[in-house]
Amino acid sequence: MKTESQAWLQLQNHAADQLSPGFADRVLRAVRSDQVPLFVAHFGMALATAVLCLGAVLLFHARSSSDSAATLAGWSEIAAQASDFDQGL
Amino acid sequence: MRELIVSYQRRVAGFVYAITGRSDSIEDLAQMVFVKMARALHRLKAPEQFESWLFRLARNTCIDHLRRQKLRRIFTPFAPEHENVPEPDGAVDSEELDALRHALEQLRPKDRALLALVQEGRSHAEIADICKTSVAAVKARLHRAREELRQHYQSDED
Repeated sequence: MKTESQAWLQLQNHAADQLSPGFADRVLRAVRSDQVPLFVAHFGMALATAVLCLGAVLLFHARSSSDSAATLAGWSEIAAQASDFDQGL
Repeated sequence: MRELIVSYQRRVAGFVYAITGRSDSIEDLAQMVFVKMARALHRLKAPEQFESWLFRLARNTCIDHLRRQKLRRIFTPFAPEHENVPEPDGAVDSEELDALRHALEQLRPKDRALLALVQEGRSHAEIADICKTSVAAVKARLHRAREELRQHYQSDED
């Protein structure tokens, strides 16, 4: 068991040796540089989602309005033809 | 903050290495852990639980990393020669460490994390809290993980 605990110690030493000098400073720089872009990224993502949803709603609305207009025109034509037919009788 | 990072970087690096088994991911993952720590430190209400909280962050970061890696390989499978790339030359310079690393590799990541938490001096109650399980479950899993590690460690040494 002694060798196993020695091995754990070696594992920690080996791992610590993999950290290059100035590790803590790099972490602090990453923390500082991450703060603003993270906010910007979240805001950007929210904005993009909102624009996408609004676009989808407008597209759907435009499409259904033009469909309704076309249907209405079709029915008006049928009604006019029916009226002409009634008068012909 | 800098002092905090400097005083824990060795232990976090060792912890990350015990779970991932890769020298080349230590620095990135350790950095990720400390960045998360720096961002969330103000939310820590009980400063006496700092160590337990830090190692919970480290454990979750490593498990997430391994999970993501596994998921990525489902969608973009590696060629057989890239599947298990050995550690670079000189990365592991002692037989004991190599044996321990190989033995740890045979365990599930969650069991490796369990053993690493014990090595970090966390109590059973703390580990249960970190792993969101009961103390009894921790004891049972720890017993099994230790047995498994011992078997692989001894067979590697022989």
